[in-house]
Amino acid sequence: MQRNQITARNNWQNEVEKLGFGFHSTNVPYWDESVYYSFEMPEILAIEKATNELWDLCLGAVQHEMDNNLYCKFNIPEWAIPMIEKSWTEDHPAIYGRFDLCYKDGQIKLLEFNADTPTSLYEAGIVQWFWLQDFDKNKDQFNSVHEKLINYWKYLKNYLNPGILHFTCLKETLEDLTNTEYLRDCAIQAGIETKLVFIDDIGWDDAGKQFLDLEDQPIKNIFKLYPWEWLLAESFGKNIPNDTNRALWIEPAWKMILSNKAILPILWELYPDCAYLLPAYFEEGKLTNYVKKPILSREGANIDLVMKNMSLAKTDGQYGNEGYIYQELFTLPNYADHYPVIGSWIIGQEAAGMGIREADSLITDNKSRFVPHFIK
Amino acid sequence: MKKSKYIQLVLITAALASCNQAKKPDWGDNTNVHIRSDSTAPYTNVHHHGGIGTALLWYYAFRPYGNYNNGYYQRAGYYSSAIHPSSNIGSNGFKAAVSRGGFGRSGFSVSS
Repeated sequence: MQRNQITARNNWQNEVEKLGFGFHSTNVPYWDESVYYSFEMPEILAIEKATNELWDLCLGAVQHEMDNNLYCKFNIPEWAIPMIEKSWTEDHPAIYGRFDLCYKDGQIKLLEFNADTPTSLYEAGIVQWFWLQDFDKNKDQFNSVHEKLINYWKYLKNYLNPGILHFTCLKETLEDLTNTEYLRDCAIQAGIETKLVFIDDIGWDDAGKQFLDLEDQPIKNIFKLYPWEWLLAESFGKNIPNDTNRALWIEPAWKMILSNKAILPILWELYPDCAYLLPAYFEEGKLTNYVKKPILSREGANIDLVMKNMSLAKTDGQYGNEGYIYQELFTLPNYADHYPVIGSWIIGQEAAGMGIREADSLITDNKSRFVPHFIK
Repeated sequence: MKKSKYIQLVLITAALASCNQAKKPDWGDNTNVHIRSDSTAPYTNVHHHGGIGTALLWYYAFRPYGNYNNGYYQRAGYYSSAIHPSSNIGSNGFKAAVSRGGFGRSGFSVSS
């Protein structure tokens, strides 16, 4: 894994905007093609293998969590448990997830799993693929996101309820809309009839006990780029188990378990010999060098990196009320004060590619940049 | 090969590229705006939440609102989640049968 600096394409903003990638910059570029990472094929194969194995372990951990009724560790309300277990036993469709991995000195370590609402899918699947067409189209890239998404939608089509597959996300965010519309694009190419409805436009028909879109069409299947913990906390949340259409929610409710950082101590307890896992605990005091993480947080908020009782780096935020976990510190590799984290995608049941986000500190936050990669 | 052989987009490119025209909102932070969704509803004051260009406009957009009856679409009016429920529904019985806005209040982006 090497970091390389190059000159960005002169018209890179136009090039990425032509792809529909409108959130490439805030005050500073988020998409950064003045840098790329190059990998040897054995390194990519190692990341792919780790991703597939971690996915298997995660499925085992979900079953363990249910068998041992560990929901309180995840701060999941009791009323939601039947819905979660039903989605698991009935094998409700799931399409994707992103493992955030640290790759350093030949070791791969799981930092967390974005199992419910992972973003940067469009950057990983599309934007960096087209960048490589310009840079050197003969080069390879760890990226079959697009064809795997289409193929898995084709597979899932047979498991959906009859009717439209709705897609929903928040209104005011181009990033969320882009990720959602990209998934919808792939579903359309898989032959599925789709429709977009923003999450706050969804209606509840109390007489008919069903969710409706803005044309009052019943929602039978819905992909949501909106976290389960938010759905449950909001006023319509308790309607979900009462829905007479028994709508399939994608990602399914059981993903609530995997997207919660409480899964990290569970994984460690179950698989302490796994080379991809870091020791992790619910209790403070078992580790000397550790990362304190809220069980529910986003974009590196409320993280505290501690080494020998001294805080190395810390971020603020609004999370932490639900509890914390403590994970052994395994710092990101330092490339001239740039710290890359690998987001490795699982689509369906297979590793599908990766995206790299680079931060200027040890904590990958919302100011990190997406940088492309290729295989040497 | 580890990469997709060929990529085609059927939906997203044109739709989202057109959303990227940076546009300064016409409304200043202190502007008082009173809107309603149809003539049966009273006006209420709204405060916008910031946002960028088209994203802000999505929020305020009035969306056609109706249903299908025996295969025919009937428009019942318009709806915007940016305004108070009383200004959305008014005395329109059709709209009042369905409540909206019960999701979507927990955050402004899910970015992970």
